[in-house]
Amino acid sequence: MVAIEVDRITKNFRIYQDKPTTFKEKILNIKTNSYHDICVLDNVSLKINKGETVGIIGQNGSGKSTLLKLLAKIIYPDKGHIKINGRVASLLELGAGFHPDFTGRENIYTNASILGLNKQEIEQRINDIIKFSELENFIDTAVRTYSSGMYMRLAFSIAINVDAEILLIDEILAVGDASFQKKCYEKMYELKKKGVTIIFVSHDVGAVRKICDKGIWIDNGIIKSIGNVETVINNYLECISKKDEVNNSKNKVIKKYTKNIEEDNNMNIKISKYLNNASTRWGNKKVEIVDVKIINESNEIVNTVTTCRPVVIEIDYKINSNINNCVFGIAIKRIDGFYCYGTNTFIDNIDINNLSREGKIKFSIKSVDLLENTYLIDVAAHSIFEEIYDYRCDIYKINVIDPQIRKEQGLIKLHHDWIF
Amino acid sequence: MIEDIMELFKYKEMLKNLVRKDLRTRYKGSFLGFLWTFINPLLMLLVYSIVFPYLLRIQEKNYAMFLFVALIPWMFFSTSLQNGVNSIVWNNGLIKKIYFPRLILPIATATSGLMNCIYSMIVVIISLMIMDVSIKWYVIFLPLLLFIQYLLVLGFCIIFSCINVYFRDLEHILGIVLQAWYFLTPVLYRVDVLPKNLQFALKLNPMSALIISYRDVLYDGKFPNVMSLVYVFIFSIFLLIFSILIFNKLKIRFAEEI
Repeated sequence: MVAIEVDRITKNFRIYQDKPTTFKEKILNIKTNSYHDICVLDNVSLKINKGETVGIIGQNGSGKSTLLKLLAKIIYPDKGHIKINGRVASLLELGAGFHPDFTGRENIYTNASILGLNKQEIEQRINDIIKFSELENFIDTAVRTYSSGMYMRLAFSIAINVDAEILLIDEILAVGDASFQKKCYEKMYELKKKGVTIIFVSHDVGAVRKICDKGIWIDNGIIKSIGNVETVINNYLECISKKDEVNNSKNKVIKKYTKNIEEDNNMNIKISKYLNNASTRWGNKKVEIVDVKIINESNEIVNTVTTCRPVVIEIDYKINSNINNCVFGIAIKRIDGFYCYGTNTFIDNIDINNLSREGKIKFSIKSVDLLENTYLIDVAAHSIFEEIYDYRCDIYKINVIDPQIRKEQGLIKLHHDWIF
Repeated sequence: MIEDIMELFKYKEMLKNLVRKDLRTRYKGSFLGFLWTFINPLLMLLVYSIVFPYLLRIQEKNYAMFLFVALIPWMFFSTSLQNGVNSIVWNNGLIKKIYFPRLILPIATATSGLMNCIYSMIVVIISLMIMDVSIKWYVIFLPLLLFIQYLLVLGFCIIFSCINVYFRDLEHILGIVLQAWYFLTPVLYRVDVLPKNLQFALKLNPMSALIISYRDVLYDGKFPNVMSLVYVFIFSIFLLIFSILIFNKLKIRFAEEI
């Protein structure tokens, strides 16, 4: 059975240049009263069946909260129809209509009645509400004496106990301490088992994953992806990291352009687009590290790699003056500065004798056994006696991602088995 | 519209809570609290009964009571309208975040005005007895008058509340209009002090018919003018229907415009 049917809805928001609200302004600005419409949702259709738990994800301003407000009938679509079967409770706002001078119990009555319960229904639920909120000792004192956590707990308890057939939730699970949060999730599972349709809006992918079976990814007012929650989340994350990459390279172009004059003559356009702007560099440049690339299995230059997959770090160097010996080194640090791994050709007992004046060195990693995080890479060229030729600190920023749902903890991956 | 009313009925608990909250919090923080609901009209009576007999020469035997029986319903009218015009705007937090029939808000304002008026009427009746104005059986019309006035107030509250969202000056304009309206309603005087042609104009004002009826029933002890009451009733019903239609048109963009 269909619980919610959204049929080609479009919603525009009116953005006033300077909204005239008084009579005087209306008269004076009669011609300049200009506004433009921005399209928040564009021809969106979707169907949600009874008993489904659906997570709506998307970046800020993508239209996901607007969609939820439309479903909650707080705002109305400009075009299209929404059909809803069943009693809706929207948890967009907790503690609506709470009055600080009233006691917790009185506020339960007010708030629950705003959510559409009648007196009898409230009386049936009031004990459950009080029990769930864990506020038995404070329920007859004025709400203004509550801590903010207590306030939210009471508010959430009312909302979750309304017994709706369709529950609309807008990132409000971040209430209370850890144990209360756990309770909230348990309650959601319970409702889910009971067959309540839950629509959950969040940009916290983890929370969506925990609760939802189905995912909807909205971007710029359009449904980008809909279906199994894992697939949708993966699509979403992939797109976000791509966006980051694009942003980074854009920054780079601008930075490079402005810095061009002072920059060393050898910084030419060939360099990899992923090089980190914020990197620092020192050394006498007898050997120069011109470029660093990280290349994945499918031979693409990337800044995102999957944990436990092979990558190659490719270093372009150039020798500017005569040197007796040269050592190349690599260090990997976690984004918070924790030193994860470091090695060089000297440690690995590799003699570099006849280097050509220009060339590439490849550092091939068979398996990136780092857990999901962001890492910074240093690349250096120096002599055996620590005469630094070129040290490029934090030259490359790389995201390691772990496709698994349940993440291991810590820094590195230990390949392991459980034996029984 | 029928659906709207059915839905309102489902939310009657919310209405009850809103009205209760309004009555209880009106004198919030004051020492006497809810008692002010009764003390306020009494003090007003005291002021009028001192000021008028001594400062102004008025022929009316008991001018304080003459004024009092009309002033209480007038205050019901004017305070409800002044609160009603803001009932949507002031509750923007609720409007933006929760679905409920928006009509509840102006209805709650009008209803709490009515409740306040009923409490004041208790004071009025007690003071009528004390001040030796004999109460006749016509008092039984009082609930009917209150009911008709409630419908009228409701209509105005609904229509003003929704227009005010889009046109905020209404609130200030209404303040002035109500002051003029006060003098165009026979609260301070009897209609027959006016020239004949003005008297007719006054009768078109629904509030004047109501005020005259209140005075007939409570002070003069006579049968109210049925024709003028029927006129006010029909006026109120039409206003109410019209205002709900307008409200339903305008409510669609409330959450965005507030």
